[in-house]
Amino acid sequence: MQAIYCRIFATIGLSVFSITAFAQERRTISGTVRDGKNGELLIGVTVKVEEDPSVSVVANEYGFYSLSLPQGNYTVAVAYGGYEAYKQKIQLDQNVKLDLILSQETERTAQIDEVVISAVKKDKNLTSAQMGTETLSIKSIEKLPVLFGEKDVLKTIQLLPGIKSNGEGSSGFSVRGGATDQNLILLDEAPVYNASHLLGFFSTFNSDALKDASIIKGNSPAQYGGRLSSVMDVKMKDGNNKDYNINGGIGLISSRLSVEGPIQKEKSSFIVSGRRTYADVFLKATDDFKDSKLYFYDLNLKANYQINENNRLYVSGYFGRDVLGLGNTFATDWGNTTATVRWNSIINSKLFSNTSFIYSNYDYKVSLSSNDNTFGLDSQIQDWNLKQDFSWFAGNKHSVRFGLQSIYHTITPSSASGTSVSSFPRNSRYSWENALYINDDFKATEKLTVNYGLRLSMFSVLGGDTFNTYDNGVLTDSKFLEKGKFGKTYVNLEPRITANYRINEVSSIKGGYARNTQNLHLLSNSSSGNPTDQWIGSSYTVKPEIADQISAGYSRNFNNNNYEINAEVYYKSMQNQIDFKNGAEITFDAAADVEGELLFGKGRAYGLELIAKKKSGKLTGWISYTLSKTERKINGINDNNWYNARQDKTHDLAVVATYELNPKWSFSGLFVYSTGNAVTFPTGKYELQEQTIFQYSSRNADRMPAYHRLDLSATYEPGKNKRFQSSWSFGIYNLYGRENAYTITFEDNPDKPGTTRAMQTSLFKFVPNVTYNFKF
Amino acid sequence: MKNIFLIIISLFLFTACEKEIDLDLDDKSGNIVIEGNLTDQAGPYYVKITKSVAFTTNNTYPIVSNAVVVLSDDTGQTETLNHVGEGFYETTNFTTAPGRTYTLKVSAEGKEYTAKSTMPQPVLLDNLQQDSFMVAGELSYTLLPVFTDPAELGNRYLFSFSVNNSGKMFEAFSDNVNNGVVNQRPLLLPNDDEDGNGQKTKVGDTIYVEMQCIDTNVYTYFTSLLQIIDGGGPGGGITPSNPPSNISNGALGYFSAHTVSKKSYVIQ
Repeated sequence: MQAIYCRIFATIGLSVFSITAFAQERRTISGTVRDGKNGELLIGVTVKVEEDPSVSVVANEYGFYSLSLPQGNYTVAVAYGGYEAYKQKIQLDQNVKLDLILSQETERTAQIDEVVISAVKKDKNLTSAQMGTETLSIKSIEKLPVLFGEKDVLKTIQLLPGIKSNGEGSSGFSVRGGATDQNLILLDEAPVYNASHLLGFFSTFNSDALKDASIIKGNSPAQYGGRLSSVMDVKMKDGNNKDYNINGGIGLISSRLSVEGPIQKEKSSFIVSGRRTYADVFLKATDDFKDSKLYFYDLNLKANYQINENNRLYVSGYFGRDVLGLGNTFATDWGNTTATVRWNSIINSKLFSNTSFIYSNYDYKVSLSSNDNTFGLDSQIQDWNLKQDFSWFAGNKHSVRFGLQSIYHTITPSSASGTSVSSFPRNSRYSWENALYINDDFKATEKLTVNYGLRLSMFSVLGGDTFNTYDNGVLTDSKFLEKGKFGKTYVNLEPRITANYRINEVSSIKGGYARNTQNLHLLSNSSSGNPTDQWIGSSYTVKPEIADQISAGYSRNFNNNNYEINAEVYYKSMQNQIDFKNGAEITFDAAADVEGELLFGKGRAYGLELIAKKKSGKLTGWISYTLSKTERKINGINDNNWYNARQDKTHDLAVVATYELNPKWSFSGLFVYSTGNAVTFPTGKYELQEQTIFQYSSRNADRMPAYHRLDLSATYEPGKNKRFQSSWSFGIYNLYGRENAYTITFEDNPDKPGTTRAMQTSLFKFVPNVTYNFKF
Repeated sequence: MKNIFLIIISLFLFTACEKEIDLDLDDKSGNIVIEGNLTDQAGPYYVKITKSVAFTTNNTYPIVSNAVVVLSDDTGQTETLNHVGEGFYETTNFTTAPGRTYTLKVSAEGKEYTAKSTMPQPVLLDNLQQDSFMVAGELSYTLLPVFTDPAELGNRYLFSFSVNNSGKMFEAFSDNVNNGVVNQRPLLLPNDDEDGNGQKTKVGDTIYVEMQCIDTNVYTYFTSLLQIIDGGGPGGGITPSNPPSNISNGALGYFSAHTVSKKSYVIQ
């Protein structure tokens, strides 16, 4: 079987190579694209030559580009949102190394023409073969109103079509009907396992440290893999290598500070960003809660060093923690730690290499103690990761990515300790996940671009524990695998293809298919996600989840690309979806093997996503609307019938607008409306043990009430163009005080004994925030 | 443990508000509800049969008085129970012993329901120990049921306790934790006098504790039942569904053959 895969890879590789072998006597122009002011490498810039409009290439995410042309004289041109147009004449008789240094637009014009969604080519939606992708430039989210004034990449992407919030107070988000764990969140290539603080109210991303964030909703090119529904790729800033910058903000709930600068001018730089809440400072002032702890912090660190013209080394790290505690009685903390060492190398004028070593760790601890009793629960997932990625600009028509990824996972399941100890040994589980991939972005004709690729993913269960096989919850086999021995290996081929056909100057259509597999699964018994949810790897009982997604789209731009309308439809079918048996306990009284509590089945999701954007002028913004459905069919649940997944929300609407009144004042508002989650409400009641018990029928056949709210914010920026810049932002979350249902519970009515009632709890109404931001 | 999470979150939700709402709930009521209990104490034993009603009606549950209820065991003993009022069916001569498997057969309203339960070997409750902890300035009491779990795996316990005999609370333990040793898990006594439902435990209150040794099916039933009663933590907890009953044919409820050991304690 492996031989066949190797043959497929070789064939694709050769066909790409052979196309370029027949090229004429060509020379290359290559180099990196950077911001002239601070030296940051720019992502996704399109580089063209004026003399031949059919020639254009997109620089990779490390700013490297390569153009292949016959000998001659050319004018290299770049147009990139937020920057002045760049032109450079060159004489091409031999390979030329040309680094493109772009100047930022002056602050004044940047405001007027600022692209709200993405700092990329204005008609990128018509030319790129990439489907289901949204890119956020960090600058663009600065002015949007957010809860407590914390500008947040994770909250902002939930305003885009196809990406739904799991609700206030819920961590995670759902993309095209997928579960929370089906999103791969990468921070400088390191996976982040729990990207939320305080149970979902904040995310772990401190926007001061970030350069770019993009999300691909299932149709990712072959260099991405490991989760079914989406890839969210977040890149940290490299750090200003020319000048020192200090950025910060003081808010009601948290404050942040970011320092960046050169270590050796223009050769190396660093950036350190930190953020901390201080809700606990207020608690200390009270009597009841003065021993309590309630805080989270994030620390992002990055340094880079230009070894020589062609080689650059980066080191980045992220440390974040949430701590909750009540005196000596209760304490819980959880957090992510990631560290990346990356080496970028320009091997020749067409080949760029990116080698990374990544360490990632997510763990949580809970401890309870009273005078005689202590209880502890802790769990951890640890990854060691190697990535070797090549960008090969094989002629102007082909941009090829190929490489391999290898991850060694160690998962320590949660187990009780203290005076109450689990009766079963909890052994760590080890696994080794590998992938080989090749992907080509091919400009087939003037109008047709095809992005196609293949990913071969392999997941090996490694020894060190007893592995059980269950069939419908019944134990059928049990074997002990010694540490270091290979157990079951799952091999999956994931083809990816998307194509974009440019119908005319202003419109294009797209279509695509992708298969994704997932070997790490988050087991959650709660409908909203807890930090104590457990990750497990595929095993003898748990098979890899597989998703097949087909999608088609249409894009139309108006008024010289200032208005954009994109429509996309998708259908996704999922296999080997996991859920729990009724009454399963997975943390405290957990059985010896949590896999005996699992049920399996399939899922399907389909929908229509629409977005209309206005990208320039005093008023900018977008309207996004998603109509969708997502269902599951699990053996052993709901009489084996299809039922709505909890995250199913029929309608999801977001209207976002920013208005620049004058250089000092800008206003922003957003309105969201969505159908409530699918839930299970009682269909009757009865008495048991002298208590009222509620009866249930079909799963998730009911709906929570619709969710809607309006947020407004105003930003005041006095004194620009001086060394010290500051701004004030004022905002209100949930302006008209809609009582959105957080939970609905059912109980005996104490005011009317002998009857029952439904009680709704809602959270935030009229929440104001004030933040002071500074930069120098 | 779930209560603790809820306490933490409520610290943070200083702007939360609660209100009663009207929901248009579906009505799938009319199911038979069977509660059958056999203990190792002297009889008589009871099987209660009622029906479920719609959410919007009053909490008066129709009784089923004309069912045929037959109890039998694996030694050939069999008896038809008599309806003695209020949906209760009573045994006359039926005797029980640990280790036996009991079968309940009910014929009601044209349908047949069957359940089996095995009475485990008895484990005695030796003692009750009081402890307390402070959370947010409030004192909460706990009571540790002192008993020794047998060495073999597979013991399941159901604790039914009340404060001054008003309102029953339950907790289910399994020997997946602390197998073969003296129990270390305490029972959390109520500390909640805010909504009309709760009570606050204070010095001088008498806590009545009944420890039952139950079989695995009954344990699974009660852990699911407790998950839906609790209402869950932030965001609503688990997706509710009817607890998996050990009674066939869609009946709600359970049939439990269990041993009983009782003790009481006065809070000091």
